[in-house]
Amino acid sequence: MAVALGVLGVVFIILAVLYALGVLQIFTSTTSGPHYKHAILLAVLAVASFVAASFARPKTA
Amino acid sequence: MSLWQALFMGLLQGASELFPVSSLGHAVLVPSLLRWTFKQSDPSFVPFLVLLHLGTATALLVIYRDEWVAIIRGFFTAAVRGEMRTEPERLAMLLLVGTIPAATLGVFLESRIKALFTSPYEAAAFLVVNGVLMLGFEQLRRRTERRTAVAAASRDEQEAHFAQAERISFRAAALVGACQALAFFPGISRSGITIGGGLIAGLRHQEAARFSFLLATPVILGAGIVEVPQLFTNGVPLGEYLAAAVLSGVAAYASARFLLRYFRSGRLDPYGWYCIAAGLVSLALLRFSL
Repeated sequence: MAVALGVLGVVFIILAVLYALGVLQIFTSTTSGPHYKHAILLAVLAVASFVAASFARPKTA
Repeated sequence: MSLWQALFMGLLQGASELFPVSSLGHAVLVPSLLRWTFKQSDPSFVPFLVLLHLGTATALLVIYRDEWVAIIRGFFTAAVRGEMRTEPERLAMLLLVGTIPAATLGVFLESRIKALFTSPYEAAAFLVVNGVLMLGFEQLRRRTERRTAVAAASRDEQEAHFAQAERISFRAAALVGACQALAFFPGISRSGITIGGGLIAGLRHQEAARFSFLLATPVILGAGIVEVPQLFTNGVPLGEYLAAAVLSGVAAYASARFLLRYFRSGRLDPYGWYCIAAGLVSLALLRFSL
């Protein structure tokens, strides 16, 4: 579970970079240029995924 | 937009943002009812709203400054440790969970939703819906009070029976967060819907308001900061807008202080009745062009 959440976090980071560079235009109001709002949201989702991964990892005593 | 109109809008937005009466609904309705000539589709109107929201977010940050320091510290501590041990740590994670649904829907669907609902008629109609929702939330709360046999107790005793924000479940935090997304409809109050969600989750009124205000800060601040570059485009009267933002912040500070005191024993009903009345009167005024 922790590994899956970590991978999800990496995917979110990649998507954030793609939106910030203007490569991705899915679900955007304009069809060109960078979309910083989307990039920030995906960065937040990446952080949330990494936090969830941290909670899910097995704890050592 | 004249200076006086800007200041009035700042006062209106700041005062109504935290009250459960929909600031967006009022921002759409009031200029239409007063027959002001400025267009809300004007490119300089978005930067104006951005600054007003930054004023509100600043007021909330000032009120909860100590709490935010503990929440941010708690967030990093719990995230690294992979475990929540203190109340600020749990609150930090609840706020993260509560922020994600509205932020996701807001970013991906905001333009589509707002394109559908920008007329004063719809804002007035949704204001009525908002009022009904507020009354509905209170009815549900009263039913819970009756079920838990605290209906006959004093208001303070009734409120003491319910939980504080740190105690709600993560599912409830996500639900309250999802409720926030409904506020993209002008007329539906963000604070009203999240306070109502908090009541359903079993929070005291004051704690529901506190959770709502804490939940609002990252979203409002984030949206504001992202839009800041628009302020430096040509034709934006930055001085007037800044004055309105300061007024908005002062009004938001005063209304947050008032509401936190009011919700020690007060309920959502008066705001519900106000929204129904204001929505119906606005519909009549718009329909008959009075």
